[in-house]
Amino acid sequence: MSVLETPRLLFRGRVTFDPIVTNNQPAEYDESYSRTVFNPGADVAAFRKAAIAAVVGGNWNPHGTHRSTFYETFLVGVDTGHGPTADDPIVKCPVSFAGMLVDVEPYGAFSSQLFFDAISFGIQGGCRVFAPRTTRMTGRYINFARNTTYNPAVDPNVAAGGASVVWQTSFPKAGGLRVDQHDSPVLRQLAEALEDDDVLGLTVRWNAYRTLYFDSLVPSNNPDLARQLQNKLTGGGFQPNPARSELVGVLGLWRKGEPASEPGDRALLTQQSASMASAHVRLSADQLTLDLANSVPETGVDLTKLNLGDLTAVAVAADGTTVLATLGTFGYDAYRREAYNGTAGIVTLKVDPAAATTAQTADIQLRQSDGAVLLAEAALRAIPAVPNTYLDEGEATRLAVLVLDRGRPASAGVSVAMVNPASSTSASVSAVTDANGIATFPLVGTVGQVESFLLVPGQGAPVPQDIDPQTTTYAYVRTLPADADVARLAPTWVNVHAQVLRNWEAMAPCMDNWLLLGDAAQVKSFAAMVRRLTAKSNFESYRFMPVTRDLTAGERALLYAFLDGTTTVAAAETPAPRSLRQQSRALRGG
Amino acid sequence: MIQLKFRAINTIDDALDLLQMAIGIEFSTLPPYLYALYSIMPGTNAVAADRIRSVAMQEMVHICLACNISNALGKTPKLAAPTYPGPLPGGIGAGGTALIVHLLRFSKEAMAQAMAIEEPEDGPIDFPHEMLEAAAAPTFMTIGQFYHHLDKFLATQPAASWTAGRNQLDDRQFLPGAVFAVNGYADASRAIQDIVSEGEGNKTSPLDFAGEVAHYYRFAEIFNDQVLTKADNPQGFVWQGRLGVDWKAVYPAIPDPGGHDFSRDPPAARAAQDRCDEAYTRLVQELQRAVAGEGGRLGNAVRAMFDLRMAARHALTVPLAVPTQVSGPGFRYREGLNAESRP
Repeated sequence: MSVLETPRLLFRGRVTFDPIVTNNQPAEYDESYSRTVFNPGADVAAFRKAAIAAVVGGNWNPHGTHRSTFYETFLVGVDTGHGPTADDPIVKCPVSFAGMLVDVEPYGAFSSQLFFDAISFGIQGGCRVFAPRTTRMTGRYINFARNTTYNPAVDPNVAAGGASVVWQTSFPKAGGLRVDQHDSPVLRQLAEALEDDDVLGLTVRWNAYRTLYFDSLVPSNNPDLARQLQNKLTGGGFQPNPARSELVGVLGLWRKGEPASEPGDRALLTQQSASMASAHVRLSADQLTLDLANSVPETGVDLTKLNLGDLTAVAVAADGTTVLATLGTFGYDAYRREAYNGTAGIVTLKVDPAAATTAQTADIQLRQSDGAVLLAEAALRAIPAVPNTYLDEGEATRLAVLVLDRGRPASAGVSVAMVNPASSTSASVSAVTDANGIATFPLVGTVGQVESFLLVPGQGAPVPQDIDPQTTTYAYVRTLPADADVARLAPTWVNVHAQVLRNWEAMAPCMDNWLLLGDAAQVKSFAAMVRRLTAKSNFESYRFMPVTRDLTAGERALLYAFLDGTTTVAAAETPAPRSLRQQSRALRGG
Repeated sequence: MIQLKFRAINTIDDALDLLQMAIGIEFSTLPPYLYALYSIMPGTNAVAADRIRSVAMQEMVHICLACNISNALGKTPKLAAPTYPGPLPGGIGAGGTALIVHLLRFSKEAMAQAMAIEEPEDGPIDFPHEMLEAAAAPTFMTIGQFYHHLDKFLATQPAASWTAGRNQLDDRQFLPGAVFAVNGYADASRAIQDIVSEGEGNKTSPLDFAGEVAHYYRFAEIFNDQVLTKADNPQGFVWQGRLGVDWKAVYPAIPDPGGHDFSRDPPAARAAQDRCDEAYTRLVQELQRAVAGEGGRLGNAVRAMFDLRMAARHALTVPLAVPTQVSGPGFRYREGLNAESRP
């Protein structure tokens, strides 16, 4: 099932990541209050100046836009079930994507997402798959050991350079998904497959890796390049500094029982993270398909893949040692750089049907020739339907968690624990799966908190101490404060600017390109546009403002009152007392 | 179709002169495209606006690439702001008659003008690049033919003709993957291929539906309000389905504001034009500095471009003396205006 089924389209290219990173530190941004932190007496200009001064110290993109754009990205092959080929007319067509990179947890690295409107494979009028967004893209399975050149232990400012991330979202058939086949056999197959009732739509999964800061292959040059950037910033204008990643990806079928936002295939978790990161596999009656897009490290900036020798997939007994069946072996040629580029990291093995039958109910492992276990299957996985949730104070929702048992929805009655590892009480709540393998949890966020919840399937299963993106599944929830006191303020320009707009005017100088947030007349003159871009109904949109999705209800109410020219504002609920954790974070923020 | 008066390229100076002319033409196409783009009412004509915007962005890339070639050959290009209505610098329309370019709001007329500017060298579809060599004594050459001619000449030049790293712009910050440094013939040839293929279409087929459709066809889609669609017929395409153009969702912008007497208009309208002029002047000045060796000023030019857009959007909401009319930016370069970027 999934993108590991055929037909599938393979693509490769590059992507920019252009986040503002000034909000990554408590000294500049208080994520509890969703506010920019101004030093006493400091104004917008002083904040911006300080952000530029911090460039040499690691604040590598004060003029970021949060945009992420594919470039030089093309379809490189298709697989209709006979291995990758490049003879379909859609091959070499561009893949077009523009999203906004936003972390639910500004201080953290595990909750990245891309808000976007559509992705296109091919061009309008030609062979093309056009996929409007239903759910934002989610980044998961961060692999911090992906590239050995960028060692965060040596230089913490290049951490992302060594990492790779799995991005995924899915597009339902009824959501405007369009397949323009023309003379493309793979698109014809794809369109036919979409007629199947079991197929919900299409899934795109891609892997971003070798992220370069300052577009430099040599990390040791970064300090000099940071100084150059600082000089440009001091010279005025708009000076973004996007990081750039390589990418490989796959577009394929999304079937019932598969999660939309992260891989749901059988999960083989890393046992030696320096050698190989977690992977997902699909086993059919006679074929094993391994998604190694995120798994095999590169040994340097030249993207040479680590040679782990021959690798063998086996099915093992419950003891984790005894081999029940050998599924297949593949050598370096199957996962070296050239193969990786052509297959998007997908390796397919023919499997003896008897061995495949055995492996349907046994754990799969990937081993080196000396027997060392690189990957071992975790049969049960609990995957949130909505990986990242935003709530306003007082809002409650329910989180559906799909439990997969070897890649298929679990039976009814499987227990799942939802655990907040940061909770002082280590409290957890449990639920059991229904007939569709779904366990449902009530979700009431803590005001002003960005919370993470581990999802642990199986009765009595050990609860990890914290999130390990390679091995644990998890959900994030950010609950914005109501800011009722802000909502009650008189809707004067002074209040609107001081309490609302200057937060982003300071943090996001790129806004000067679109709207001068310190210019009352301009803000007022674009009132309709501001209202449209900040409306909660447009929350998923590429152009939603603020990009960082941290406009509180009180701030929105005050802003709208100013834009509408009204003099009174409906009161919001009084904020709940702040928790110890929240107070702690506030202290960190100064 | 824009043509240049034919001139043989026998020396580097010949090449540089014609390259300067080509840069001028590329630069001069931006205002008419932007005037039409800005005049589209927000929230309408999204597909058409995207097409015009993508063409404008590519023209900006072409300017940067052409400037990189010129700089690599030792000459700092000059970005001269044209006036509208007027001919494109050095440009001659089809049949030897000068094509006078106007600033027109989004309309069929504006798209027809854009198609006339972007028309491939032998009309739509056919694309015989070798025609130039076959002609015994050509009189005119298209931009595409010029670049092809230039490429052949540059291929014969020794490595010493090139100065690596001279005033080169790249895309570390903007336009990812599109603008690259020209440090020798290989880079120059790649830049030329990009310019020609995006502007006029792929050499063998401008409509292979694999890459971006050439500018002419993008404008033609808007003009016809139809999508150019791949088809199994001798032409290789059909016009199919609606693009979704709404010709009425446009600000009532006057044509050619450069020739309009704003002294008769309300102060707000004059002030709006002043802001447009200031931003445009700053854009030209900053871009000139960027191509003359201050690469960091490209960011200032981009900021000025955004400022121009904001100024234009405002101007398009301010009534003129005839209250049913507004004006977009006049794209007037104000000599003597020292428009330093705001930080």
